[in-house]
Amino acid sequence: MKIAVLIKQVPGSESTLPMNNSQDWIDEPSVTFVMNPPDNFALEEALLIREKMSEGEVVVVSMGPSRVQKVIREGLAKGADRAIHLEEDGQIEIDPLLIAQRFTDILKEENFDLILTGLQSDDTGMGQTGVLIGEMLGLPTATLAIETDVLDGQIRVKRELESGWFQWVQLPLPASISIQSGLNTPRYPSLKGIMGAKKKEIRTVPNSDLLSGEQAQSMDRIFVPTTSKKTEVIEGDADQVVERIVEILRSDIKVT
Amino acid sequence: MGASYVTFGRMFRVIMSGSQPLNWPDVIKNWKHGIAAFFGQKTLFKTRPVIGLIHALVAWGFALYLAVNIIDVLYGFIPNFKFFPDSFIGDVYRLFVDIFSVLVLLGVFYFLVRRFLIKDSRLVTRDPVMLSEKAQKGMRFDSFLVGSFIILHIGSRFLSASFEIALSEPDQSQPAANLVAGLWSNMPTDTMHVMEHTTWWLALGLILAFLPYFPFSKHAHLFMGPLNIMAAVDRRSMAAIETIDFEDEDLEQFGASQLQHLPQTQLLDGYACIQCSRCQDACPAYDTGKELSPSAIEINKRYFLNENMTTLANGDVIDRALTEWMLTEEAAWSCTTCGYCVEVCPVGNEPMVDILRARQDLVMMESKFPQDAMETFEKIENYGNPWGLSPQDREKWMDGHDVPLMREKKNVDVLYWAGCSGAYDSRGREISQSVANIMNEAGVDYACLGNEETCTGDSARRIGNEYLFQTMAEQNKETFDQYDFKRIVTQCPHCFTTLKNDYAEMGIDLEVVHHSQFIDELIRDEKITPKPYVDEDVTFHDPCYLGRHNDEYDAPRNVLQSVLKDGNIREMEQSKSESFCCGAGGGNMWYEIKTGGRINQSRVDQAVETKANTVAAACNFCNIMLEDGVKTTGNEDSIKVLDIAEMVSNGLR
Repeated sequence: MKIAVLIKQVPGSESTLPMNNSQDWIDEPSVTFVMNPPDNFALEEALLIREKMSEGEVVVVSMGPSRVQKVIREGLAKGADRAIHLEEDGQIEIDPLLIAQRFTDILKEENFDLILTGLQSDDTGMGQTGVLIGEMLGLPTATLAIETDVLDGQIRVKRELESGWFQWVQLPLPASISIQSGLNTPRYPSLKGIMGAKKKEIRTVPNSDLLSGEQAQSMDRIFVPTTSKKTEVIEGDADQVVERIVEILRSDIKVT
Repeated sequence: MGASYVTFGRMFRVIMSGSQPLNWPDVIKNWKHGIAAFFGQKTLFKTRPVIGLIHALVAWGFALYLAVNIIDVLYGFIPNFKFFPDSFIGDVYRLFVDIFSVLVLLGVFYFLVRRFLIKDSRLVTRDPVMLSEKAQKGMRFDSFLVGSFIILHIGSRFLSASFEIALSEPDQSQPAANLVAGLWSNMPTDTMHVMEHTTWWLALGLILAFLPYFPFSKHAHLFMGPLNIMAAVDRRSMAAIETIDFEDEDLEQFGASQLQHLPQTQLLDGYACIQCSRCQDACPAYDTGKELSPSAIEINKRYFLNENMTTLANGDVIDRALTEWMLTEEAAWSCTTCGYCVEVCPVGNEPMVDILRARQDLVMMESKFPQDAMETFEKIENYGNPWGLSPQDREKWMDGHDVPLMREKKNVDVLYWAGCSGAYDSRGREISQSVANIMNEAGVDYACLGNEETCTGDSARRIGNEYLFQTMAEQNKETFDQYDFKRIVTQCPHCFTTLKNDYAEMGIDLEVVHHSQFIDELIRDEKITPKPYVDEDVTFHDPCYLGRHNDEYDAPRNVLQSVLKDGNIREMEQSKSESFCCGAGGGNMWYEIKTGGRINQSRVDQAVETKANTVAAACNFCNIMLEDGVKTTGNEDSIKVLDIAEMVSNGLR
């Protein structure tokens, strides 16, 4: 069983996000980057599958500038067997189609049985990369997995639907699955893992070797949402006040 | 005697099965400490003074009896031998033996009554602490046997003396034996002769009968206790244990998973322990009903060592995790590393160090620790602070306050280290602002690192993540190397002890003072003269890492005194070296142990009892815990929590 886990490095949710001077992206040097939390769950799920089957290989695949080596090391320390770093310095976060394209050649060449992604990235939150890769590689694809069960040549996946509904689907392998957060408890690397990670292989694929495509989406301008405070003093007798409050609850705050 | 000798030999081979070999020449060089502990009995008076006194009498009596037994043997085997008959020395000797015989008999009798009739709860361990079943039964048996032995041995010797007197003439130097001799006045002379000899030989014979058992019993503490004091590791502070060399590629085990991973001195602890449970009395986790009892650690260790003596003495390894027999995982996480157990131990045991070693294994080898602690590690790794807040926000507390920055000044007298809590916690920020205000008022040449500052690694180290701790230490060292400063001032005792003692263990030498010491100095040097304005009573909560870990009790009290007008310092039931933890130490700030009550609430109860209106703290963590405790115990109207720096700063305005 050969499992790829796609890991993205994103600005930590606790960081304040300053804008760059051209106001088209955040000012990266002053931001703390961490492993995209949903990807952490995907990695844990891959490690659990490998442990349960007591065989197989977990490969961390990450795209980005040299700083992503930090999350790659983290993945290796947690127990991934090796890693592939796809170099990319461009600002393509905003274009999942292009990102998916760049991944395809490498993923095809490796012949993975299973490709796991976090359901979305915490920066732009598109939630498309895993699905697009599945489509481009012609693999059966399931999203929002909250439980997995690998069978012989198949994988059963419990998907989260709306309003507390779930769905079990069975897919033939190879498959691409996006993992919902919270389905497991990601581990902390043991010291052995941290030390061992230094010796594990990281294959670096230069940007020029990646499939190039046109950037279809780009960022025009980003800005901090403006907030305003509006205070309304409700006057009148009790009935009128209640009526107005109910109206506000219904139409403004939309309590149903 | 031979059996006893063989067993003692085995015990030492068992000790050798631990890691970090003891340096015996150094241990022997410390012989004076051992003698001082044996005869001084000083360590016993730290707690339980009355019982300590009784123990001291028994111990001195024992020492005397060692001489008595030798003299008795000479008396028995050399015809007509008598120890300085009819001379002053002989009389003094007999007087001492007479008095101490009675004192030891009464003392041991009291000890037996206390254990078996009064059933002092301090001598047993409650649930849900893990205490081996063998120990539960064994301890009672052991105590009974040894108590009976002492009573029979000394009782017989004493009776023999009384028969001897009854057969000859009253001896003014043996008043107690004289008194008892009166009882035999109606006994036939022949019977008295038989009795004199029987009791006399019984006294000596009992020693021979008891000797083979002696090393197995907890009473081996007689030798092992003083020896343990001689073998004490000279630590910079209680929790500043030896660092681990991660560069050493031969190292495969980090921390202690099994017995053989514990340092030899920790194995000796098990033999030195007399199972008095003073440490259990002291432990805030035990006090609040958690799974931890420091004495259970030592008792379990001792019974494990006894049970496996032959195997261990042969150098074989027993493949059983410490968490199966020494302390449970939850017990290990319940420790606040307050150091009270180490402080009170009469024989110099360090149960806290066992816990720190076990935690290192759980964290670095097995990745088994509270989920919240994991998040803390990740926050320290990613953001450089356990709150997980943005490193870019570290300087926010300085907004609107005139605080110089190191990257601008580069060369200063004092580097003021605000610490993570001083930079991120809302109350911590107010304390930092007060410290900065004091520095400004005093005209101190100082600066802060601001955003360049990062966690010292204290919590990581106490939780057992030595690797993360060292990473943080190295990172901070790089920052320190860029600037010139004479010393560091910190308001957090955790930062203080870590920078001062734990960094020194890593070879990073810094001069570090706590803000209580620094402010005390400023007041003494008249750099600041706070106005005495506090009219209400104040109580002071000693932070563990300032007090017990670094022996600083006076500086914060001096500082407090400087602002007191009509108010007084009212000490809590437990203060100074006996201070009761706030509950946050040892990483407990970051995860929650659900078993039992809350430590901070117990401490707040003590503070409220003093009827003081303010509980002064000198640690941001204590401040947070106490404020929380004041709120959750519903004491918001009766007591408030302030840092000493805030109180001084208020007196400068």
